[in-house]
Amino acid sequence: MNYYECNLHSLPDGSDSPSRLALVARRLGYAGIIICNYSGTGKALGAEAAKAVKGIEVAWGAELMAENPRKLHQRVASLRNRTDFLAVHGGLEKINRAACENPKIDLLVHPQRGGKGLGVVAAKAARDNQVAIGLDLGPMIRFRGGTRIRWIKTVKRDLVFARKFDLDLMITTGALSHLDMRSPRALMALAELLGLERDEAQRALSFPGTILELNRKRWLLPGVEML
Amino acid sequence: MRSWLPVLRDRRRYIAFELEAEYGIERKDLLGEVYSSQMSLLGDIGASEDQLVLVAFDGRFGLIRCSHKRVEECRAVLATVSSVGSTRVAIRVRGVSGTIKAATEKYIPQSILQAYDDKRKIDWPVSGSVAHVLGCEIDICPDSQEITGRSGTMYVGLTSFDLCGGDVDADGTSDGL
Repeated sequence: MNYYECNLHSLPDGSDSPSRLALVARRLGYAGIIICNYSGTGKALGAEAAKAVKGIEVAWGAELMAENPRKLHQRVASLRNRTDFLAVHGGLEKINRAACENPKIDLLVHPQRGGKGLGVVAAKAARDNQVAIGLDLGPMIRFRGGTRIRWIKTVKRDLVFARKFDLDLMITTGALSHLDMRSPRALMALAELLGLERDEAQRALSFPGTILELNRKRWLLPGVEML
Repeated sequence: MRSWLPVLRDRRRYIAFELEAEYGIERKDLLGEVYSSQMSLLGDIGASEDQLVLVAFDGRFGLIRCSHKRVEECRAVLATVSSVGSTRVAIRVRGVSGTIKAATEKYIPQSILQAYDDKRKIDWPVSGSVAHVLGCEIDICPDSQEITGRSGTMYVGLTSFDLCGGDVDADGTSDGL
């Protein structure tokens, strides 16, 4: 299985250079990483150096942060053709919903952040538009006690939706530093505690690779590829 | 101690791990953090079934003993350790084995590169001084703390590839400084 870590932040969002993240990810057993900075396609610090790291694929994406759906759709339209992977910073209910309704978006990360999670309507929209849901295990690693209990409750409810509507999942840590990253085996063990089956977790960890491959082809229309 | 029938003896697994930390960590601080993470994640009942014991720890590599049925839970517990006191750490599981001997021989390297302190300054991509160098990986203590504020770390993580502009050999035999 080729595992991908799909939502990493490098300098200046996080505190590590892309090549450091790549080196650590290679040691942990990933086949590739996707660096999604908030600044979109702006040239990241040390992007050239990341190419020198052999044995791991470093892909560039963007994580969009928007305060309302209109701005979100605008930014998606402007970035879609310039980046390989488009994620949306979820949390607000209206942003979650808007992201699920836009087929150009690949991933909605941590929709649970505001404490609300996905709703039935957003989950159905995500199925229809093939938007994957990002299971960000960062809070499970960092938080303790009541905060984590509430987070687990919300995530478990969202996993019920994901099963019911057959949504695609991606597991990530949303790491800002190499110390936030965890190996695929460790993430699987954490996901199993949340009630995911082993094969579901494996699929969720390797799914970003499939999406990257699809995004790199040139599509004229949905289903029509330019060769 | 021979108070148990051999057939009823507990079966154990030994987890060899590597600790990545920004500063040196004492054995008892690490143990305290692992136990509190375990308690927080699994509760008293779950924790009692794990039989987690820190067998050895030398500052970087260590060995944890647990019940053979609870290896995945222990892996999850170790993954949730993110800081000891105010120092950011990460525990990387290197392998699991049935005996101390096998775990040590297979997963704990006998000769390791030592980290060393260094006071050299760099100014790109961030300005600061070099804190540790380990192989290709270089930790920088930045002049402005703003850059590490969001991730809660002390250092900025770079590699020799960043400092050389990419023309170093990929084995990282030169550290680029």
